[in-house]
Amino acid sequence: MAKKLVKYAVVTIICLLLAYNSVYFKKLSDVNAANKSFNATEYAQNYLDQKLIPSIGKMPSTDTLLNLIKTNPSATFDKFSHAMDIGNIRYFITKGSGIITGLDEADVYITTPAHQNIRIATEYVFGNALRDAPGIININDFTNSGDLNNVSSELNKIIRSKVLPPFKSSVKKGDQIEYAGAFELNRQHLNTDSVEVIPFYLKIKR
Amino acid sequence: MKRLGIIFLLLLTITACKDRNGGSRKKMAVIVSTLNNPWFVFLAQTAAAQAESLGYDAKIFDSQNNTALESDNFDNAIASGYNAILFNPTDANGSVANVVKAKKAGVPVFCMDREVNSPNAATSQILSDSYSGCVDLAKYFVQTLHKKGNYVEILGIVADNNTWNRSKGFHSLVDYYPGLKMVAQQSADFDRNKAMEVMESILQAHPDIDAVFCGNDAMASGAYQALVGAGKAEHVKVFGFDGASDVIEAIKDKKISATCMQFPKVMAQTAANYADEYFKGKRDFPRKIQVAAELVTNNNIGDYIAFGKK
Repeated sequence: MAKKLVKYAVVTIICLLLAYNSVYFKKLSDVNAANKSFNATEYAQNYLDQKLIPSIGKMPSTDTLLNLIKTNPSATFDKFSHAMDIGNIRYFITKGSGIITGLDEADVYITTPAHQNIRIATEYVFGNALRDAPGIININDFTNSGDLNNVSSELNKIIRSKVLPPFKSSVKKGDQIEYAGAFELNRQHLNTDSVEVIPFYLKIKR
Repeated sequence: MKRLGIIFLLLLTITACKDRNGGSRKKMAVIVSTLNNPWFVFLAQTAAAQAESLGYDAKIFDSQNNTALESDNFDNAIASGYNAILFNPTDANGSVANVVKAKKAGVPVFCMDREVNSPNAATSQILSDSYSGCVDLAKYFVQTLHKKGNYVEILGIVADNNTWNRSKGFHSLVDYYPGLKMVAQQSADFDRNKAMEVMESILQAHPDIDAVFCGNDAMASGAYQALVGAGKAEHVKVFGFDGASDVIEAIKDKKISATCMQFPKVMAQTAANYADEYFKGKRDFPRKIQVAAELVTNNNIGDYIAFGKK
């Protein structure tokens, strides 16, 4: 009888142990937080509203940058350009103004106060210029490269859908504009004759 | 006899430990997905050469695009006392187990060009920014085709992240142009001969195409060969990715429209340098670092040579 009792007790303990280790409880809020997928659209909108637009005032002008690049390229690249990738492609964040000298389906052409001729992209707003140029996003904050690429993709989408249409519908030759954006240069094969700014802010001054 | 056996085993263990932890010349294993493609041969040879120039022994292991063989290569490298692995994976998911195996054995792994889908398994991953490169390529593609036409996409190995990063980068721009219609999308495993066969078969069903976008240059060369065979090479524009020597020559001759230059030398040398720094005590490596890929067309071909810049 005692033997039977011990046997049942052992079996019961084993069953209880198995049952206890088979089930675990977590707070629902913790599970939801862990499963929350990265929202690139929200991230991009916050980045534009809270990081890029408020810092326009502190951005170097395109005239200043191009002048510095021509006189002291190495130091200017070191001080003002950023890129997440290693290599020769570097991005500069910038602001500026100018008079529109021409328009085509891909760009508006402007002459700046220092008589530099540059382009503002109005068609091909793609790539990483706006994401990388300020140098404030860290690649290692993202668990996979897909999320990181989606930040660029969503940011560019916002620019194409919200910033460009009102500008494109009313801009014309001779207008004076203000802009803020980013441009790309190849450090090893430097060409400042065809700078194209990817804009995130555009204003026609009338 | 039993005692002698134990002493022999102890001596063997001590020798193995000495080999991995210091004392003798350290060794780096270069495990590469395939040596059947000149681009990967260049990557592996550059990594081995850089390791040797830093004062280490180096040996190249060919996985022949086979994860089972890759696993054997890892076993061999670990058992032979290699102190670091410079690794070009065959499969983003399938290769994770091998990297973890090396990590457990105390051997750091530095991935080159291709990614493994684990943020912490490898000590560092040095990758090409395929997505961004293909965004630039796609812009040129749209401009060259004037936003209109039928095109074919030939994908690389379906299990490799680079395949999809390139495809997604390309489509992130091209898909905004409804005049550009993809009539076929098929994999040719980054292989020249397979791409030729795939292209021949696609041309049977879709003879009226204007362009082909290929996930690497080997496939671009294969697709071009099929177009020559079908008498369509003059009309159909071919786009690749890599910066391989035959495609660089073909861009000069205006046979292929464009490619994206990757920099295998930068990736291979960075991986070997990181392993060297690891041996010297550094541990805070970036988990992932990307190398920019640059658009190469007939307009700027003068700036480039095969696998890099002049």
